[in-house]
Amino acid sequence: MSSSSVTNSSAADETLRAQIFQRLHPRVYLERFIAEKIRPDGRTFDEWRNVSVNVGSISTADGSALVRMGDTTIVCGVKAEIAEPELDHPEQGFLVPNIDLPAICSPKFKPGPPTEEAQVLSDRLNEALVASGVLSLSSLCIHPGQAVWTLYVDCTCINYDGNAFDAALLAMLGALRSTTLPKATYNEETGRTTCSRKTRSPVQLTRNFASSSFGVLDTSHVLSDPTAFEEPLMDVTLTVIVDDRGELISTTESGGAISEETLLRCINRAKERALQLKD
Amino acid sequence: MAQSVNDRRRINGPEESFPPVFDDEDDDEFKLKTQRKRGPGDIRPIFLQPGLISQANGSAYIETEKTKIACAVYGPRQSKTTTYSEKGRLNVEVKFAPFSCTRRRAPMRDAEDRSIGVSIHQAIVSSIRLELFPKSTIDVFITIIENDGIEGCIASGSLAASTALADAGIEMLGLVASCSAAIVGDGIQLDPTEAEARASSGTVILACMPALDSITSIWQSGQMSADLSLKCMEQCYERCNDIHSIVAQSLLEHRKTD
Repeated sequence: MSSSSVTNSSAADETLRAQIFQRLHPRVYLERFIAEKIRPDGRTFDEWRNVSVNVGSISTADGSALVRMGDTTIVCGVKAEIAEPELDHPEQGFLVPNIDLPAICSPKFKPGPPTEEAQVLSDRLNEALVASGVLSLSSLCIHPGQAVWTLYVDCTCINYDGNAFDAALLAMLGALRSTTLPKATYNEETGRTTCSRKTRSPVQLTRNFASSSFGVLDTSHVLSDPTAFEEPLMDVTLTVIVDDRGELISTTESGGAISEETLLRCINRAKERALQLKD
Repeated sequence: MAQSVNDRRRINGPEESFPPVFDDEDDDEFKLKTQRKRGPGDIRPIFLQPGLISQANGSAYIETEKTKIACAVYGPRQSKTTTYSEKGRLNVEVKFAPFSCTRRRAPMRDAEDRSIGVSIHQAIVSSIRLELFPKSTIDVFITIIENDGIEGCIASGSLAASTALADAGIEMLGLVASCSAAIVGDGIQLDPTEAEARASSGTVILACMPALDSITSIWQSGQMSADLSLKCMEQCYERCNDIHSIVAQSLLEHRKTD
């Protein structure tokens, strides 16, 4: 009895010491794991965290998705509103993606206006959705020059455990795919647009794609899907977006230099990943 | 809804956009009659899950039919204000997700989330032993993912906050349970939805610590007779006892799985 309680307390001591070490010397802590070819959460280098997508659970939104990638949790909702199109694009609607990293999701964020990280993420998500042409903006037209749909695609992060970009893109695409718009008619005499409650039709997406993020440590160790602990320690972060036919949509690399070989390896891994995420 | 065009920190849409207008807006009354399937004294079923947010010291997620709220507790951590205070500070911040309501909410904070924050602060502040945390702040962050009635949001929000505080291991005098009621016609309906609250003439939100048999906050608005409001409080208080056991149960189960 007494001996077991002694081992218990010494085991608790060990974990506490490991936690303190992790806090004070995060880089050395991670490097020791890397030397053993394993990561702090028990994954191998190219293992992804489990992903679950739950679609359409929010009734106040026109389309919604909840994505969990390991512990990272992101909710995305689409709200459709009607606006006047811009003069030089009379038949094009608007797609407005934003992500919010509120104080609830991590101790490193404070309440208030969007942090730099959130601004960069919103911009990259916008780029990804625009660059891929996932949604033809002219399909959002109700009446040329008078009324078009505006889709506000808002993501809120509930729990931030790294790799928010992949999770947010997955959530946005899931939400868009589940979005239905009411049948709208523009009345030329009154200049008003009215919608029917009964008939709704889905938004047409042109392609299906997914992004895969990697972190590179010491130019040779490539970690898939980095967690919030690993993310800030990486020398290079790399995001590859490919569609389900294996076509490349975007590649972003930031940080130091990596070899061509590493880049190609990441792209191949991203292709496999995109196929996995398809179902 | 007009969004501030100058806000360069977000991706902006068109200058102005409006929620769709439906051609048959008159069936609200009809909907209300068909909607309430439970009895006037019944509340919506509560799903409560502590500890979903791994980054926080304590957290809780609550779902009562359509209302969905996530709550996280950070702290006690060092206060930023330089003034010395012997007691800890409780900071409650409520945020609506842009897609949480029937009309899209522009990301700017408005008066509504602040007033909900104050109500929840009131409901839980007297349950926490703040005298144990000098110079510290306890941050309670609440995100409303889906809103179905402000009264329900305040009640569920208080419940989630109290659960999250317990999950964070912060010393409290007791768990806070909360329940709302609305006067519809001459009768009392507990836990009103948005449509029911809109049709009512007055509402009461009561928060209490059933274990100590004491009330922490009462918030009554609208018109009702004194008798009726007392009756509301009584019914809410009774329900709070049931809610209290749900909270205790979910915390116990969570501890077991740890």
